[in-house]
Amino acid sequence: MLPDELKLKLREVIAGAESPREKAIDVMFEIQELQGWMSDEAMVEAAELLGMTPLELEELATFYDYIYRSPVGKYVIKVCDSTVCWLEGHQRVVDYLSGRLGIPLGGTSADGLFTLLPVCCIGYCDRAPAMVINKRVFGNLTPEKIDRVLGQLAEKADFSGSE
Amino acid sequence: MEFDYPRVLFKNRKPDRVATLEEYRESGGYEALQKFVGGRVSPKEVIRLVSESGLLGRGGAGFPAGMKWSSVPDSSPFPRYLVANADEMEPGTFKDRVLMHVDPHCIIEGMVLAAYSFSASKGFFFVRPSYESSAHILERELEIARKAGFLGHRILGTDFSFDIVVHRSGGRYICGEASALLNAIMGKRPNPVKPPPYPTEKGLWEKPTVVNNVETLANIPHILRNGPEWFKGLSATGHGAGTKLYAISGRVSRPGAVELPIGTRFSEIIDEHCGGMAPGARFKACLPGGASTRFMTGEHYDIPMDFEDLKKIGNRLGTAAIMVFDHNTCLLGATLNLMEFFARESCGWCTPCREGLPYMLELLRRIENGEGREEYIPNLRILCKQVWNSYCALAPGAAEPVISLLDFFEDEVRQHISEKGCPFHAKAGH
Amino acid sequence: MPRLVIDEREIEVPEGTKVIDAAEMLGIVIPRFCYHEALGSIGACRMCAVKFLQGPFKGVQMSCMIDARDGMVVSTTDEEAVQFRKRVIELLMKNHPLDCPVCDEGGQCLLQDETVSSGHGVRLFPGPKRTYRDQYLGPYIKHEMNRCIHCYRCSRFYQEFCGYRDLGPLQIGDRMYFGRFSDGALESPFSGNLVDICPTGVYTDKTARFKLRRWDLERAPSLCNQCSLGCATVANGHYRGVMRVEARFDSEVNGYFICDAGRFGFSYSNGGEGRRERPLGPKMAGAPASGPIALAGAREALENIAAKYGPEAIGAVGSDRNSLESQCMLALVCKTRGWLGPVFFSDPVVRRKTLAAVEALDGELAVSMREIAEADFVLVAGADPLNEAPMAALALRQAARKHAPVVVIDPRSIRLPFDFEHFPASPEEIEKYLGTLLRMAVEKDVAGLGKEGEEFFRATGFENFEPPAEMARLSELLGSSKRPVILCGTDVSVETTPAFAAECARLLRISGKQAGLFYLLPGAGSFGAALLSETAEKTFGSLIEDIENGVVRALVVAESDPFHFYPDRDRLERALSKLELLVAIDYFPSETVRRASIFYPASTIFETGSTYINQEGRVQFAQPVHRGGAPIRGGQHPPRVYSGLVPGGDHLPAWKVLWQIAGMAEEIAGGHGDISPQNFIPAALPAFDGLGAERGYPVDGPRLFAAKPGFRGKGGSAGGIGGERGEDPESFDLLMVEWMFGTSEFSAWSDSLDAALCAPYMSMNSRDAARAGLRDGDRVSVELDGGTFEIEVCVSDRTAGGVLVVPRHQALDWQKMKDFPVRVSAEKIRKI
Ligand SMILES: Cc1cc2nc3c(=O)[nH]c(=O)nc-3n(C[C@H](O)[C@H](O)[C@H](O)COP(=O)(O)O)c2cc1C
Ligand code: SF4
Ligand code: SF4
Ligand code: SF4
Ligand code: FES
Repeated sequence: MLPDELKLKLREVIAGAESPREKAIDVMFEIQELQGWMSDEAMVEAAELLGMTPLELEELATFYDYIYRSPVGKYVIKVCDSTVCWLEGHQRVVDYLSGRLGIPLGGTSADGLFTLLPVCCIGYCDRAPAMVINKRVFGNLTPEKIDRVLGQLAEKADFSGSE
Repeated sequence: MEFDYPRVLFKNRKPDRVATLEEYRESGGYEALQKFVGGRVSPKEVIRLVSESGLLGRGGAGFPAGMKWSSVPDSSPFPRYLVANADEMEPGTFKDRVLMHVDPHCIIEGMVLAAYSFSASKGFFFVRPSYESSAHILERELEIARKAGFLGHRILGTDFSFDIVVHRSGGRYICGEASALLNAIMGKRPNPVKPPPYPTEKGLWEKPTVVNNVETLANIPHILRNGPEWFKGLSATGHGAGTKLYAISGRVSRPGAVELPIGTRFSEIIDEHCGGMAPGARFKACLPGGASTRFMTGEHYDIPMDFEDLKKIGNRLGTAAIMVFDHNTCLLGATLNLMEFFARESCGWCTPCREGLPYMLELLRRIENGEGREEYIPNLRILCKQVWNSYCALAPGAAEPVISLLDFFEDEVRQHISEKGCPFHAKAGH
Repeated sequence: MPRLVIDEREIEVPEGTKVIDAAEMLGIVIPRFCYHEALGSIGACRMCAVKFLQGPFKGVQMSCMIDARDGMVVSTTDEEAVQFRKRVIELLMKNHPLDCPVCDEGGQCLLQDETVSSGHGVRLFPGPKRTYRDQYLGPYIKHEMNRCIHCYRCSRFYQEFCGYRDLGPLQIGDRMYFGRFSDGALESPFSGNLVDICPTGVYTDKTARFKLRRWDLERAPSLCNQCSLGCATVANGHYRGVMRVEARFDSEVNGYFICDAGRFGFSYSNGGEGRRERPLGPKMAGAPASGPIALAGAREALENIAAKYGPEAIGAVGSDRNSLESQCMLALVCKTRGWLGPVFFSDPVVRRKTLAAVEALDGELAVSMREIAEADFVLVAGADPLNEAPMAALALRQAARKHAPVVVIDPRSIRLPFDFEHFPASPEEIEKYLGTLLRMAVEKDVAGLGKEGEEFFRATGFENFEPPAEMARLSELLGSSKRPVILCGTDVSVETTPAFAAECARLLRISGKQAGLFYLLPGAGSFGAALLSETAEKTFGSLIEDIENGVVRALVVAESDPFHFYPDRDRLERALSKLELLVAIDYFPSETVRRASIFYPASTIFETGSTYINQEGRVQFAQPVHRGGAPIRGGQHPPRVYSGLVPGGDHLPAWKVLWQIAGMAEEIAGGHGDISPQNFIPAALPAFDGLGAERGYPVDGPRLFAAKPGFRGKGGSAGGIGGERGEDPESFDLLMVEWMFGTSEFSAWSDSLDAALCAPYMSMNSRDAARAGLRDGDRVSVELDGGTFEIEVCVSDRTAGGVLVVPRHQALDWQKMKDFPVRVSAEKIRKI
């Protein structure tokens, strides 16, 4: 069940739209912010708020890269694997993260904190190799920088701002 | 920056922060709005000036901006919509992000003026998820613009009202394609839709809608303030118009986004504005306009980077995102990587793209892994031709690197096949 | 009209014709997957590539995406186009499993055909094939996603064409999936069409799974006789059974599709287990008898009754599931032999409503389902399209998709797969709403009618009626419409409504519109029954009285089961047991059949040529698909009887049985002691002759009308009647209604439909429920004069006040109401 405050907020979000469906992504992002991923129950409830059937929402949820239909960690680390990052050693970044977190690409750490995924170009090619954690981007990655970032996260530092 | 070039879009660029409304106004910001909207100049005049300026769309297709606006029929219904396309998901492309972080008001003012030209009442900023920071900035600055009377209800006290919201995408390359983008905003599956009808007749909710790239829009205030002739004069060639944001990445010393007169020579861009090739790297080839353009070899190292000149050599300026590869780069590997991207991002609507790109991917991967066969090469050529006839421009774009790889570097590809492996593998270490 | 050249042949086509269709008009079928005439073009599969040689387009382009234009020269055989199409096939086959030997689509698979015709045969792609997990989609449709070629036909049909929202495209790229949110039965009652529309074997008919190979089937053009629309079907027979039913294209009636009741409701013809076993052998006094003996026995017994009590002591009963052949034979027998009847209707009001509809329909007003789909305003009066004639709901949806407003005036909480305006009026109020809306829309245009028109409107009772606010807007839309249609039902409406609806349609015509009229009738044979029972006023109800009074001593019941429809079961049982002779002719194992002193098995629509006149007066013919007989099923060897006869093959068309037992050989004969319907239909129905003259028998397609055009000024029931009744808190009108599944005889005897049944419930208005102290989901007992039945309550704001809506459901013991109409007082409804 979605918490009542969230539902209230989502209703407000939806009310501001030309048509409710327009807010489907926003609604799913809000839910993911709280619950991490879109469970079947969350899908059903979100669809109802949006005046859609669960199938109709699923059509969107499964289309997009940033909507998760299976459980993910608190922090979803997506390492860019497109051309420039590839050129600048994205594989090294993946290997390093894999080693540090003890999970393969696609895996979630046992403490439920991290999920490691590949992502296509995130538009930070000038700072390749780069990664995006939840919606925050980190570029010019080196092992030291990665350590620093992971350190911050492990301390559960506030993580809502933008770079 | 150390070079003396007219700086227009990046005039207010700060090394570490976003230009404020005040800074934008000091540099002449919102003057065009005062003059044209505040002064109730005829919308037709706005369109005329923009058309005359020769501004071509910066989203990749190079469509004349003025012509697009004027294709909204006078008699068409209201409300009308304007969309700023800030999806920018093509590998190598990041100029719009930099622009949004440099001077958001320049885009906002451009949107209001564009909206004024065809009487739109609502605008959308379509922003990809990894640009959440841009979305943040935009929402903040939109509110500031609203408070200042430049946006929202009765702009500058006139009877013209126009407001903008930020629409967050769920993240897919195809959402940048204009018609797919409109579906995305409406909460439908973002498959492209072939015209007719054109979005300018029936777009969002069947109402007239214009989609422009954010860089295109950012040029508008400057054109209107300084006139079309000034804009044309900015170009480094006789035929182009304005400046251009070039986003350079890859094996150069200083990757980044720079603003230069459109038509600046490639050699100058690399050697002077990016500090040359990265230490120890020699130029091998580049993709001059994003992932869906053709490899360009050293033969054209001096080419003016303009729509026309690239077209002449069978290539495209695209998004002017230049990805530079050096002598140690396996271009087959690069092409394979691009194909991974395109195959993953295919929207799944049409057969050539949905099935053809994974097909090419499989062949390229086998060649790269040393399992290639001679017949894969002609097969790849046929597939390139086949996907050219897809529903939208994604798949033809995806074929460009492949076909140019075969055109210019067939020997390198064959070497993979005959040596049963990647000749660069040992050298480059990826 | 553009002229273009395709493959060196010139053709002129209407503006807006796609090149793919222009080619088809020349007999050139360009390969295609995503394109379907009913769904339009989307240019997704790229299979219809042709080469444009001259004209505004050049090169290889998709013929489904380009309108034919003057001066185009197109080649479908150009090498470049041929190669392109071959590569598209290669791409589609890249992931397609080579399931053909075990795939139920095999033999009628578009992908198979187009792969073979493209010439692609050698796999070049070196990679592995993609696989998917399939979903459970319910009892009718099997899902095999690995076979999908991603043409989007299914989702577009399901969502866009039909308006259901639980099946669609999921995922992206080459991971695209077509399915539901989660496993579960498809919600659309048109889901069976997925089987036809999918160009591969992703959706196959689960009821026929692994029972057949396409090329072994006997196929024939047939009709659906489960409702009055008479949709065109293809029946498929094998091993003396009907294996499956598919939709058959009919541009005027059903288009490309049929409903699930029509598709899956055939299994009665094969019979089921236990009480549903089809009676295939003749019986006398409960014991098996040979065909000739049973026929002779019946004839003799009937002659004895006639000799003893006079011929009018024999009542002849038919029904609305009789073919026109049987109805005509019944009429002729009664005429020549002097039997009482024929009786086709159970209830006098239904009889009069059906007759009124048939009498009102003229060639000017009558519209087909295609024309409904093209209407720009539809008024639905006293009809529940989805339940009474499902395909009509789909036709309405097509109109609504083109922005035609649809206004429903009906006491039930009508559901339709699109947005519509609903006025929950009680049956008595329907005319008031209809008349008022019409008056507001066109009064000024029909001023020329003067007093007559005024009287007409006054009769609707509008004067003391405060129309709902919505009506102003709707009447304006109706006023500005050009092709409005009135769709009128004959089930819940009061007696005068069908004629009233016709007058309304005529007024719309007078006001300058291309107005149309479309009735829903009780059954497939209702139109024919109405044409033939104009003279015989009898209904089954009056026949019962005649039996009770000893006037009628014998009944011949042809394809009818009073136990299914008669509202007082006790009385029926008593009356039947009083009879000296009950002859039953049927294919259902009905209670009447069980009680018959002589039974003769009738052939089903799949076994004998059958004519039906649908509700718009269209005469249509169903070809027999097989000879029938005891079906050969798994685990049952054919009986080892050494005989020239087909086991279980005694059944005859009901008309032929009647012909024999009434001893009509002298009166109607066609030589060789046998007859053809050609010999007797025109005698019973002279109008038929005109249709058949140039065509002979059978007749398939033309329309037959009893009425002549022209306004008659026949008012309604002087409206006011209802007005207050709906507000009477003390008692309710019991409305017995049809459901798509569960109320028809076909559904009672077809085990294939069991899976679609849902439990009956009684709908009532929320204010009524509150007053009666009932809540949604409560179970109640309803006490009737003849006993009680139990049912769940469904409370809805959209059910009219003052009515209780109850389905004549097979799971409901409702035949305790003595007689219609029934009023139930509030204290007779008790919560349990
Ligand atoms: C697959 C695909 C992706 C695209 N992505 C973008 C994009 O991210 N941003 C953009 O401005 N245009 C993109 N375009 C181009 C748009 O379709 C459209 O031409 C452009 O936004 C129009 O703006 P302009 O006229 O100002 O250039 C894309 C096109 C295709 C085919
Ligand atoms: S080419 Fe086809 S499948 Fe690919 S993105 Fe465009 S429409 Fe979708
Ligand atoms: S399931 Fe059938 S109809 Fe649906 S997309 Fe796949 S092949 Fe087409
Ligand atoms: S709509 Fe009626 S006639 Fe048509 S298929 Fe369904 S039940 Fe049969
Ligand atoms: S039939 Fe034309 S593209 Fe599919």
